[in-house]
This record gives sequence, structure tokens and C-alpha cells, in this order.
Amino acid sequence: MEQFFNTYFDFSIMGDYFGDVLQGFWWTLRLSLFGGAFALMWGLILAVLRQLPGRAFAPVRWIVIAYIDCLRGIPLLLTIYLIYGGLGTLQAQGAIPQWLGLPEYFGWPSAFWYGVLALTLTYGAYMAEVYRAGIESVPRGQMEAARSLGMSHGQAMRFVIVPQAVRRVIPPLLNDFIALMKDTSLVSVISLPEAVLVGSDIYSTTFNPSALTLGAIMFLVVTLPLARLVDWQIKKQDEKFQRGMA
Amino acid sequence: MSDTTVETPEIARGEVILKIDQLCKSYGKLDVLRGIDLEIKKGEVICVLGPSGSGKSTMLRCLNLLETPTKGTIELKGDAVFDGSKPKNLDDLRRETGMVFQSFNLFPNMSAKQNVSIAQIRVRGRKKAEADQRAVEELTKVGLAEKVDEYPDRLSGGQQQRVAIARALAMDPEIMLFDEVTSALDPELVKGVLDVMRGLADSGMTMICVTHEIGFAREVADRVIFMDGGYIVEQGPPKDVLDNPKEERTQRFLGLVLDH
Repeated sequence: MEQFFNTYFDFSIMGDYFGDVLQGFWWTLRLSLFGGAFALMWGLILAVLRQLPGRAFAPVRWIVIAYIDCLRGIPLLLTIYLIYGGLGTLQAQGAIPQWLGLPEYFGWPSAFWYGVLALTLTYGAYMAEVYRAGIESVPRGQMEAARSLGMSHGQAMRFVIVPQAVRRVIPPLLNDFIALMKDTSLVSVISLPEAVLVGSDIYSTTFNPSALTLGAIMFLVVTLPLARLVDWQIKKQDEKFQRGMA
Repeated sequence: MSDTTVETPEIARGEVILKIDQLCKSYGKLDVLRGIDLEIKKGEVICVLGPSGSGKSTMLRCLNLLETPTKGTIELKGDAVFDGSKPKNLDDLRRETGMVFQSFNLFPNMSAKQNVSIAQIRVRGRKKAEADQRAVEELTKVGLAEKVDEYPDRLSGGQQQRVAIARALAMDPEIMLFDEVTSALDPELVKGVLDVMRGLADSGMTMICVTHEIGFAREVADRVIFMDGGYIVEQGPPKDVLDNPKEERTQRFLGLVLDH
């Protein structure tokens, strides 16, 4: 027991490296916030495009469905490598502009922005499916009522359907956000010093994983309250449903 | 899309406002409407009766093209809005027809007032203040002056349905379509909604009501239409169709409905 404790919870190592791990976790948080915010928007755009009516928009729907299926079917790790391996090279060849090929907004490294892009592309696809479930759960009569008042499909989506759909899918979106936050650790493979990479670097010099434990604790400080928040949201919605409306 | 740009010819009371010709609707092999001819005059109140599955709701939903007919034509004030294959001037049609649904379909994310003003602002192009004022007027007319800021989940079914009527009326429609609007209501709430419809009929609104309320039809309708199997079986003034039906199917239906 003592050996276990000394291995995983060596307080002197945790103390010595607290600042480094926290700095790593700050990258983790920024990846989560930027990736999460963009994925939320991108997912909604995809979901709305997928719902465009009529034969004229069929190609748009197919492209969106193909995109969602592909991005969900590829490991995020692979997407990160594909972006990292491609964008810099394309930019060097002059095929794409620098803001896309070698982005360094706010003075943050390209690896960070590649990570944000990969998270957005993949989690946008996941979240699009969540939004879709929300949109499809809004009763048909809502769209009919909006259309019978003369609203266009777009107006009906914007003012009637999407506001109701988003409210219903807040819990699953939060779940996706928790998953996204954990997956930011994959960006370590392109050398962004986020919490996991920092922790494993410390491990390779100290031969003790306590800095990794520290990283795990930092994750939990954020993800555990979020998990509670999800449960609370679901409970609140259940009560609303029981009153007969959502 | 503001009020001033809407140019629709004035139609005098008694002139044909909506004309449908050989309207058919099928879902796959199921023929729901098998050729409906109907002329509706301005100011006329029509009640449509018939057993479930007779096609009466489908006919109503075809009139504002919530359902696309399979065949036939629809003319609004002499202009084709459906030419047998696809909708034309859909915006005009929807602007001129208000619809009230069995299940109310209020927007639950908006207050009663917002429910009534949103389409005025977004479709009619009215200013928010103007639309809100009109919303309060319409809600007052249906007896809900005190409920303007309530959300639908705080209103009874009857109150929700009256908000839905106010919402449609605020768009200044030429024709109001009512699709079994009292069928989902508790019995004690039906009268309030029918009273509103009665008042609307008295004010000269053109109305088509799919209904099971025989008493309402007898009292308010200028014309009663009995449908069965996707056809109009019989039509005429209520005293003819309801009290002396010629067709056997009408007699049987009325016998079943009135015998309790």
C-alpha cells in the first residue's frame, strides 16, 4: 500500500512540478474551449444543412452525410496526423495561405491550431448528430405551424425549431464536450505540451508517474462538476416533460 | 415583404375566393382524395364533416399546401397557386390563409404575445412595437388579455387554442382553416373556443372548419360538406345535409354521431 502511494502520489514530485503540469493543463483548457466552441458551431451548421428540404438540396445533404460518416469513422489521432502532416507542407508549397497552413494566432504554436482544427472537424461531426436528434425530436406540428404562418423553411428553423432543439440537447452536448476535453490529450502527438505530454516528460526524467496523477486530478476538477451538471440538466428536463411541455 | 408591397385584389363578399378542381392526393397506393371540386366564396362559413379517414383533414392541409396534392388545381382569387404538379405563389397562399390545428402547435419557447407577433414581424415585416400591439389586441379579442406574457405550458388547452387562433388572425388572412380544433380539448373548454369561432363567423371571415361539432355546424355554417372515402358525398345548407340528408352514407354517419 505504501509502495502504491509512493508511486502514484509522491507529494514532493507533485509539488516540484505543479507549475509545469498546470501550464500543460492550461493548454488542455484552451484546446477544449476553442475546439469545443468551434465544434458546437460547426456541428449546428452541419445539422441545419442536413435538414435542408427538397430535391434541389439533395447534393448538399449527401455531402454533409458523407462528411459526418467519414469523420466519425476515422480515429481523431489519425485526423490530427493528417492535418499536421498536410497543412504545413501545402503551405510551404504555396498551395494554401499561411493563416491556414501555418496558423499562429495570439502567438500560439501551429500545433495548437492544428489540434483545434482536428477537434472541430471530428467533434463537429459528433455534435451534428446530437443536434439532428434534437431537431428531429421537435414535433412536426411546429414546422407546420410556422410554415402555415408564411415563414420560410429557414425562418422556421431559426426562430422555432433550432431554439427548441438546442434546449433539448444540452445534456448530450455537454457529454460530448467532456469527451472532447479528454481527447485533447491526443494533440500531444504533435508536440503540443498539454497536461499529458508534460506529465509523461516528467515521468521520463523522474521515473515516477505522480505528475501524471496530478494531471488526472486537474482533469477531474473540471470533468466531475460537468458530469454533475449534465445529470442536473437531465433531471430538470424530466421534470419539465412531466409537466407536459418541453 | 412589408404590408404595403402586398398587392392582392379586393374581392367582394360572395365572390369566389378559392377554387379547387379535381384535387387528388395519394400516399403510395393509398388514395386519400379522389377528385375534390370546391368553390369557396368570400364570407362563407363551411363545415366539413365525415368519418375518420374520409380525407377531410388532408383536403384542408392541401388547401394551404402543407400537403402537396398529387393532381388537380387550386386557384386563389383567380391566380393558380397549384397547377397540378408544383406549388406557385406559395408565399401568397400562405399569407392569405390562416390555419389552426387540432394540437394547437404553439411555439413553447415563446410567450403568448411572442407567438402572435413573431410571424407578423418576420413575414409581414411589421415593426416589433406594432406587432406587439396587434398581438395584445388579438389576444384581448379571444379573451386572453391577462395571459399575454404567459408561456404555453402555463395555459389550458382551450387557452392555447385561442392563442393559436389569435396568432393566425394577426396575419390578416382572407381565409381561416380550422382542423378539428376542439377535438383535443376537455369538454368544458370546447365552448370558449367555439364562441371565438362563432364571433369570427359573424364578423364575415371566410372559414373552412373540419369538425365533429354537429351543433356548431348547424348553427354557424352556410354550407355543410360531408366527405367519405376521399369524395365529397353531399353538400348544402345545414338544414338539408344535417336534417334531411339524401345520401345513405350521410344518413348512416349522422345516425352514429347524433345517437348519443
